[in-house]
Amino acid sequence: MNPLARSARYLRILRALAAHTLSRELAFRGNFLVKVSVEVLWLAIMLAFYKVVFARSSNVAGWNEPQYLFFVGCFFALNGLIEMLFLDNCNEFSELVRTGDLDALLLKPIDEQFLITCRRIDWGCAPNVFMGSGVMAMALYQMSWRFDPVKSAAFLATFACGVAIAYAFMVLLTSLSVWMVRNQSLMEMWWLFSSLARYPKEIFSGRWAEPLGMFFTYFIPILIVVNVPANVMVRAFDPAMVLMMLVATAALLWISRRFFLFALESYRSASS
Amino acid sequence: MTPPEAAILMPPPPRAIGSLPLAVKKYLAIFRASLLERMTYRADFLLGTILRFLPMVTTILLWRAIYAGSGQQSLAGFRYREMIAYLLLTNISRMFSSMPGLAGGVAREVREGTIKRYMIQPMDMIGYLLVYRIAHKITYIIMSFIPYALLFGVCHSFFDGFPDLATLGEYALALAIAFVVGFFFEASVGMVGFWFLEVTSLLYIVMTLNFFVSGHMLPLDLLPEPWSGLLKLLPFQYMAYFPAVVFLGKAKGAELAWGLAGGVLWSAFFIVLSRVLYRRGLRRYSAFGG
Repeated sequence: MNPLARSARYLRILRALAAHTLSRELAFRGNFLVKVSVEVLWLAIMLAFYKVVFARSSNVAGWNEPQYLFFVGCFFALNGLIEMLFLDNCNEFSELVRTGDLDALLLKPIDEQFLITCRRIDWGCAPNVFMGSGVMAMALYQMSWRFDPVKSAAFLATFACGVAIAYAFMVLLTSLSVWMVRNQSLMEMWWLFSSLARYPKEIFSGRWAEPLGMFFTYFIPILIVVNVPANVMVRAFDPAMVLMMLVATAALLWISRRFFLFALESYRSASS
Repeated sequence: MTPPEAAILMPPPPRAIGSLPLAVKKYLAIFRASLLERMTYRADFLLGTILRFLPMVTTILLWRAIYAGSGQQSLAGFRYREMIAYLLLTNISRMFSSMPGLAGGVAREVREGTIKRYMIQPMDMIGYLLVYRIAHKITYIIMSFIPYALLFGVCHSFFDGFPDLATLGEYALALAIAFVVGFFFEASVGMVGFWFLEVTSLLYIVMTLNFFVSGHMLPLDLLPEPWSGLLKLLPFQYMAYFPAVVFLGKAKGAELAWGLAGGVLWSAFFIVLSRVLYRRGLRRYSAFGG
C-alpha cells in the first residue's frame, strides 16, 4: 500500500474511533458534564493563581502579565490535547500487559503503536483545547496583538511539534510498562514532565538551575514544548529555536517508535 | 432467631462482642494486614515518592522569579525563604490530611453491596477504615522519611532552624487535627454514596477545589479580602495551611488558640457528620442478592 493510501486508511480508522468514543461518552452525559466542570475549575484555579501573582509582581522571569496569560492558555490547550488523545490510552497499557489483553490488540491487522496509543479519544478533555485557546485569544487582545502570518504559522507548527514531543515522551514512558508492569509511578513521571513544561524556562536561572534548564532544553527537551510556541507568538521569534524544535520532534518520534517496538519484542503474554 | 435477610438489613450491632483485649486484638490484626499490603509495592512506592518532590524544584524557581519581579522583600508577610518553607511544609500537612481512595472506597462498598459485611460482622466500618488508614499513613511516613529528610536537608537554608519545643508540640497537634479533619471529611463525602451511587465525579470537584482552598498552592494570606478571611473560617485550611503557619511561628497567642479551637470544632463536626450520615444511609440502604 502506498504511503498516501495508508495515511488515508488510518485517518478513516481514526475518524471511526473518534465517532465511536463520542457516542460512548454521550451515553453518560452527566459524567461528561462533571468531567468538563472539573477542567473548568482547574482553569479557574490556574487563572486565580496567575491573578494573585500579578497583583503583587509586574513580571515573572521577564514575562509580563498578558504574555504570561498567553503562556498559561498555551499550556492548557496543549496539555488538554495530549490528555484528550493519548493519556488514557497510554495509562491503560500497563493493565493490558498485566492481564495479557494486549494479545488481542497485537493480532489486529493494524499498526500496534497507532492502535494502542490512539484507540480512544477522551472527549471530556476536548473543551480544554477551546478554553486554552480562549485564554490565548484574551491575552492577545490585552496586548493589542496585530495579526502576523509568519508568527501565526510558526506558532501552529511549533504547537504541533510540542504535541508530538509530549506524545513521544509519553510513548517512551508507556513502553517501560512491558518490564515494570505496575506503572502507576511512571504516569506520575508524566505529571512531573508536564509540571516542568508549565512555567517559562527563564525561571531556570542561577548557579544550579541554569544547567538543569539546559538539560531539559537540549538533552530531554521537555522545556521547549510550551515555551517555544508561546515565545514565537508573543515574544521574540527565534528561528534557531524553531529549527531545533523541528529536529527534536523528528528525533524523539523516531526514538520513541524504536523503543516501543523493542518493548513489544520483550512482551511475554500473560494469558493462556 | 433472626432470619439472615433481616440481619443484613439491620444496622450494625453495638460493639458488645468481646472484651477490650479482643477488640484491641481485632484492630491490631487489621493494622498488621494493612501494613503488609502497603509494603508489597515498595520499589514503585519509593520511586513515586521521590518523583513527587521534583515539581518542588519548579515551584522554588517560580517563586524566586515572582519575588524578583515584585521587587519586594515580603509578600503578604511572607519573605521568599518563608514562602518556600511554607510550600515545603504543606507537603507534610498533606501527608497527614490526604486520604486517597477513602471516599471512593466507601461509595464502592455501598454500590457493590460489600458494605453488608460491617452489618453482619462485629466490626464498625468507620473504626475499621480509621485503623486501616492509620496503618497506611504510618508506612507512608516511615517510607517517605528518607526522601523527605533529603529534601528538607537540601532545603535547610529556607528554614530558620528548628522551632522551640512548644511550637513543635503545637505543630504536632495541628498535624493531628489535619489527619482527623481530612479523614472524617472524606469519610463524610464517601457516605454521600448512600444517596448518589456515583461519587467519583463529586470527589474530583471537591479534591480539585481543595488543592486551592486548603492553601496547598499558596498561603491563604496572599488572597485579597474577603477571600482570605473567609477561607480561614472553613475546615479546608486545616489540611494544609494551618499546620504550616504553626510550624513557621506565624500563628501565635490568641490567633493560635482560636485556630486550634476551630480545628477541634471542625474535627468534632465531621466526626458527628460522618456518623449521622452512616446511620441514616444504612437506614435507606437495601442489599439485594447474595
